[in-house]
Amino acid sequence: MTETKQHPYLPKLVDQLETGRIDRREFLRTATLLGLSAGAAYAIAGGIDPLPALAQAAMPKGGRLRIAMRVHEIKDPHTITWVEASNLIRQCYDYLTRTGHDNITRPYLLEKWAASEDLKTWTLSLRKDVKWRNGQPLVADQVIWNIKRTVDPAVGSSILGLMKSGLLQEFDTGQVDANGKKKMSTRLWDSKAIEKVDDYTVRLNCQAAQLSVPENLFHYPFYMLHPDENGAFKVGVQGTGAFELVEYEVNRKAVLRARKDYWGGAPHIDTLEFIDLGNETAPIVAALASKQVDGLYEVDFAQLDAIKAMPHVTIYPATTAQTGVARGKYDQKPFNDVRVRQALKLATDPQKVIDVVFRGVGDAAEHHHVAPIHPEYAKLPMVKRDVAKAKQLLAEAGYADGLDVEIAAKNQPAWEAAAVTVMAEQWKEAGFRVKLNVMPANSYWDIWTKVPFGFTSWTHRPLGVMTYSLAYRTGVAWNEASYSNPEFDKLLTEAEGALDVEKRRAIMAKLEKIMQDDGPIIQPLWRQIQTAYDKRVKGFRMHPTQYIFAETLAIEA
Amino acid sequence: MIRFLGRRVVYMAATMVVASLVLFLLFELDPESVVVQVLGPYSNADQRQLWLQKNGYFEPAYARYLNWLVHFAAGDWGRSRIFNMPAVSIVWTRLSNTAILGFWFFAFLIPLSLAAGVLAGMREGSRLDRTISALCVASASLPPFASTVLVSVLFVFTLGWLPGTSSMIDGFAYRELVLPVLVLVVYDFGYVARITRASMADVMTTPYIRTAMLKGLPYARVIVRHALRNALIAPFTVIMLHVNWLIAGVIVVEFFFAYKGFGSLILDASLGRDLQLLEACTMVTVMIAVGTQTIADIAYMYLNPRIRFK
Repeated sequence: MTETKQHPYLPKLVDQLETGRIDRREFLRTATLLGLSAGAAYAIAGGIDPLPALAQAAMPKGGRLRIAMRVHEIKDPHTITWVEASNLIRQCYDYLTRTGHDNITRPYLLEKWAASEDLKTWTLSLRKDVKWRNGQPLVADQVIWNIKRTVDPAVGSSILGLMKSGLLQEFDTGQVDANGKKKMSTRLWDSKAIEKVDDYTVRLNCQAAQLSVPENLFHYPFYMLHPDENGAFKVGVQGTGAFELVEYEVNRKAVLRARKDYWGGAPHIDTLEFIDLGNETAPIVAALASKQVDGLYEVDFAQLDAIKAMPHVTIYPATTAQTGVARGKYDQKPFNDVRVRQALKLATDPQKVIDVVFRGVGDAAEHHHVAPIHPEYAKLPMVKRDVAKAKQLLAEAGYADGLDVEIAAKNQPAWEAAAVTVMAEQWKEAGFRVKLNVMPANSYWDIWTKVPFGFTSWTHRPLGVMTYSLAYRTGVAWNEASYSNPEFDKLLTEAEGALDVEKRRAIMAKLEKIMQDDGPIIQPLWRQIQTAYDKRVKGFRMHPTQYIFAETLAIEA
Repeated sequence: MIRFLGRRVVYMAATMVVASLVLFLLFELDPESVVVQVLGPYSNADQRQLWLQKNGYFEPAYARYLNWLVHFAAGDWGRSRIFNMPAVSIVWTRLSNTAILGFWFFAFLIPLSLAAGVLAGMREGSRLDRTISALCVASASLPPFASTVLVSVLFVFTLGWLPGTSSMIDGFAYRELVLPVLVLVVYDFGYVARITRASMADVMTTPYIRTAMLKGLPYARVIVRHALRNALIAPFTVIMLHVNWLIAGVIVVEFFFAYKGFGSLILDASLGRDLQLLEACTMVTVMIAVGTQTIADIAYMYLNPRIRFK
């Protein structure tokens, strides 16, 4: 323990680890969040921090790396909703922190952070050696500009949902909407909520205890952009990242050149290319087979056998908290009736969905969107399939003759429409007459928060509370089901500030139960994902969110 | 001749105007449906009003149509939403890519299928005829969506001879053209060869060929000088129609091989609800259809002396 000012809770945490009350993973996560360095935390838990070891390995230098991935139009890096888009932007801009493939969060643009004892005050110390491409240093004012921008409701970033309980308060705008309801908005709860301490130190003064601040800072749209550019993304943008965008053609390709003067050390490769081969999986696999690309963003399950047969390719699997949920609008008929929501859950057989869609690979979910690999996960009993009870609930809700519903889903990746099809067949047995509306992915992402009934994929987050505050807190941008439950919101804020793991898990059990009994989602499964890279590519580690960190990658000639 | 050409040009222009009117009525007559296409079905009323105002949709329909037509004629085809650039530049890039594909497609298709058709039709019922006919039936019954997979499995996955996609990321490469051209030629070869064969067989039974034979002219001379000219009229029409077919028919091939051509652009535009790009693509397709029709008519005149236009 070499930290000068350690958090008062740390000794207790070490004690809990030694007496076996928390496991190693939970210790690592909480200790690093409280400001202990990852190296020190791993040392106490009896291990070696895997990241520096990886960086020091001898790597081939130079060369061009080509990755097959969709290249989308990007309007504003702070408002993106596609992980693919984040993979492109991530190479040009950095985050304040970085959550590694081991789910441990480390400082990145930050040198360190420190949390107050009550977890309300977070002091973020910036590295002093970070330079933008134009040579300017990264300073506190720029970081503050970014945080303020992302929590501005006019910008529409999903980050607002993560920061709301700590930094924001609701207020009445004085206007009314078309339905005569008051229009509410959010603003900083205090003028000092985001405070500049000096040129390299920023302080977040939260109104409530927040444990996940460092993890939130790595939420994928949370880039540190240059204020002069005001959210534009195009060739030649200023960034602190390891690469510079030199070519960007939507639906075709993006080319990035390594920055030799990158503050984190020059990347191994010279050039990185993202190549867009369209939505169809066949050309992507064909391109890998004929070595026209060196790696893929994702391998579709249907293509796995074809890829396994390629001798020059390595497959990288990862167990994740990635999932897809069918959700009805909580405030619209017929899903505003809890009996309808419960009937859908009772009519679903998760294991069958996994068997059909993923040939049995994956874990059945419990309709509450917290994964077994989340540190705060509390095990709840599985919702058993009960068609008779589902029918009865539907009849009680006034739909004795059945209910017509239309569910929207996207056609890519292919598993999503397949999962919806299987569930639709299951729901039909309980009296739901389901119509499928399968559309291209970009059409779906245009309407995903608005459609009355839809199936949406959710990527992995290191914490269950992050998912909850992004997707189910009242009024936030990504609350696609318009879920609103005051008790849920209150417990969620409590959970976000609970330092003690057991206490946090007890609150999570309540939250999960609310989701199971009242929540708007039908969640069949947790996915196992995989991708594939040419064996010449070195340094690749599958991140559970499919994030690509190209400065860690190298390619043999 | 000049008068004939003049009439054709006027006819072409008239067709284009009618097509543009139909297109406008289909896509743009109802501003509400336009704004829903662009902003999505769940956009709110305020957003829609703002967008309609900004894009001039409160003008009367005829004024909007004339305005659109004048802009289109002047080369301003609007802005593509998904590519975020002028529609005209993206359409020309993609169209020239498809033209390259089309050029090589015809460069192989025409000699191969005409030769096979003529050979088969020269002596109807011969062993050569039956062999070629069997080949033709096999090729015509293999649709592109099946043959793409077949050639991929064979040449990319099993033999590893050819690149599996044709996105030309590192600039133009002939290797990447092989599979798309192969798939298209395989599909079309049977059809064109069968038409040529039927036409050739017809001609071979006509009295003037019999007369030529009985006069004692060498067989090769009868075929080349007398039979071919008449036998090629039908296949020529078919081939000209294939330019139109190629524009739409290549969608599957371009999609499967990730070839960035006009077919995949139409697909991108319609899936991405890119209205202005889709309009530009449709108008270009109409232009090509009308253009090839005119060329076919003119060429007809030269090929068949019996057809004379007044």
